[in-house]
Amino acid sequence: MLRNASLGRRLVLGAAVFITLALIVAAMVIGFILHRFVQGQIDQRLDSQIVFLASQLRVEDGRLSLLGGADGPPFDRPGRGWYWQITGPSNTLRSQALSGNDLVLPDVPARPPRRPPPPRDDFRAGPPAENAPRPADGPGPDRKPVHFRIAHFTVSGLPVTIAASAPRAAVAAPLRGAMLTLGVSLAVLGVALVLAMLLQVRLGLRPLERLRQTIADVRAGRIERLPENQPREIQPLVSELNALLAQNAANLERARAHVANLAHGLKTPLATLAIAVSDRKRDLTNEARLAELQALVALMERRIRHHLGRARSAALSGPVRAQTMVGVRLADLGEALGKIHAGKAIALTIDVAPALAVACEQQDFDEMAGNLMENAFKWACGTVRVSAAADGNKKLILTIEDDGAGLRPDQIAQALRAGARLDESEPGFGFGLPIARELAELYGGELTLKPSSIGGLCAALHLPLAVG
Amino acid sequence: MKILLVEDDHMLANEIAAALRAENFVVDVAANGEDGQHLGDTEFYDAAVLDLGLPVIPGAAVLRAWRKNGKQLPVLILTARDAWTDKVDGFKSGADDYLTKPFRVEELIMRLRALVRRSAGFAETRIVCGPLAFAAQTGVFELDGLPLKLTALEWRVLECLILRNGTVVDRTELTEKVYEGDAGTDSNSLEVIVARLRRKIGRDMIQTVRGRGYSLTEGGA
Repeated sequence: MLRNASLGRRLVLGAAVFITLALIVAAMVIGFILHRFVQGQIDQRLDSQIVFLASQLRVEDGRLSLLGGADGPPFDRPGRGWYWQITGPSNTLRSQALSGNDLVLPDVPARPPRRPPPPRDDFRAGPPAENAPRPADGPGPDRKPVHFRIAHFTVSGLPVTIAASAPRAAVAAPLRGAMLTLGVSLAVLGVALVLAMLLQVRLGLRPLERLRQTIADVRAGRIERLPENQPREIQPLVSELNALLAQNAANLERARAHVANLAHGLKTPLATLAIAVSDRKRDLTNEARLAELQALVALMERRIRHHLGRARSAALSGPVRAQTMVGVRLADLGEALGKIHAGKAIALTIDVAPALAVACEQQDFDEMAGNLMENAFKWACGTVRVSAAADGNKKLILTIEDDGAGLRPDQIAQALRAGARLDESEPGFGFGLPIARELAELYGGELTLKPSSIGGLCAALHLPLAVG
Repeated sequence: MKILLVEDDHMLANEIAAALRAENFVVDVAANGEDGQHLGDTEFYDAAVLDLGLPVIPGAAVLRAWRKNGKQLPVLILTARDAWTDKVDGFKSGADDYLTKPFRVEELIMRLRALVRRSAGFAETRIVCGPLAFAAQTGVFELDGLPLKLTALEWRVLECLILRNGTVVDRTELTEKVYEGDAGTDSNSLEVIVARLRRKIGRDMIQTVRGRGYSLTEGGA
């Protein structure tokens, strides 16, 4: 979905998601810390009440009593959730706020004896003593939830439990207030951040819009190339674009030159043709005129082929990243040639590893291998052998052999020269070899010809192997 | 031998058709891919000559459609695209031969004859049936080693019969392959041609299969 969306929307959307997640995490962490803080405050208050109660506690005849009044606010107001209770083996003391009801304490076992703590300099920071108050939660006498702190003591040999409680609302209410404020502030912060991001993206992408306009100027012909003083991030893009523009211009120039050459190459035989079909040569026999016309047609065809081949090879410039699977193409070419020469019953063997690939455009590989194989089929008596292998030097060697008449050494040099025709009676020969050679050299390879061990010609094409 | 020529250039199509007719071919011409595909689907042809750059439906698509419909007629692609990649693609679409423009019409005729001969199941260029011999590449009939003089219509009937190698050729198919389009098809004239042929090569060689058609036998039986 995002693939075609605008860059700006992509950046803003990404930032919005990230900011929202970050703010949610921040709210959760702050909420947790606040909760602990408020809870700590309440616990501290309950604990001091417990310590105060313990200090006032007396035992007389096995019964518990308090020295003085222990019902300071807020423990004196009933129904608020602020209570305390001292439970001994024989009697129970309660805060006034309980109005005689019992606090039902959740079962909190006495803290198991700990191993002696490691010696520390600051004794206050040591682990809690065995009779330190411990937290618990449960319902109060009026079923409203309360938070307890419960401590177990031994006073004059009697087991005594002192509990103090606070309403849960005492923790929740301030926390809720704080979280509400926090939430609103964070939401505002989030919106502000996304807006800032939006602005930044707008400003940040402005050079791209400017670039679009300059490219439009180039296309309209107002300027020739893009100005190079661009922001560092798009500078490489602009340089590549300029290189592409230069290459296109060069290609266009070459194409124009080729068309001009082709036109020139055709005009001469056309002129001859015009004379040949005119009445000036009435003295020649029909057969002689026919032969002349056919020779002219053949010449024009050869010129067209030659210029098309050159135009195609000239279009290649720079490193080639194409990959062509040798085995597949050779098999296809072999099948095509088998049909073209169906009347000759040629046995074709292709010996190539299946994964072999060359760094050539498929069309060019087809042109090189096709021309060489066509030659072999044309001259072979009954056998054509094609084999391809890597030579260990990042080159592929494609050898195409036939059992035909072959070429003499002096003919080999002539065969590779563009335009030379060894056998005028066989149409198509004479251009295949030079075209294959020119293309191979464009790819940094070469074409060599030598006598084959099976009798005819052995053409060896060296081409760069595809890497990876 | 009846050929379907699908070529959109009128001048070239007329030249090719004239040259083929001069060699006793029966030629139907279609000027676009749609007409060509329709003709190939509905009529009997011994071979088709197909241009690739056709209006309405491109040649390669016509060829693929024929092959998809199970049409096995041999097809020769005639095109200006002479790159090997194009040739490979043409053969992959189902072509049996490929000739690039410009070409010599003699070569086209030679290749068409070879295509039809091979698709009829003859590997050799010389087809022999009893005292009768047919040089498929040149189109010359010989009887007992001497050249046989035939009219165009006689030649077409005899060629069609000899390429069938003894099997029966349906009357309708024979009529279609001998006469171009609907031009002057007289139901009697096929009988007349066969009768003349029988006088020239011997009564026993052409057998009438009642209600179906004719077949060529080695005779003397």
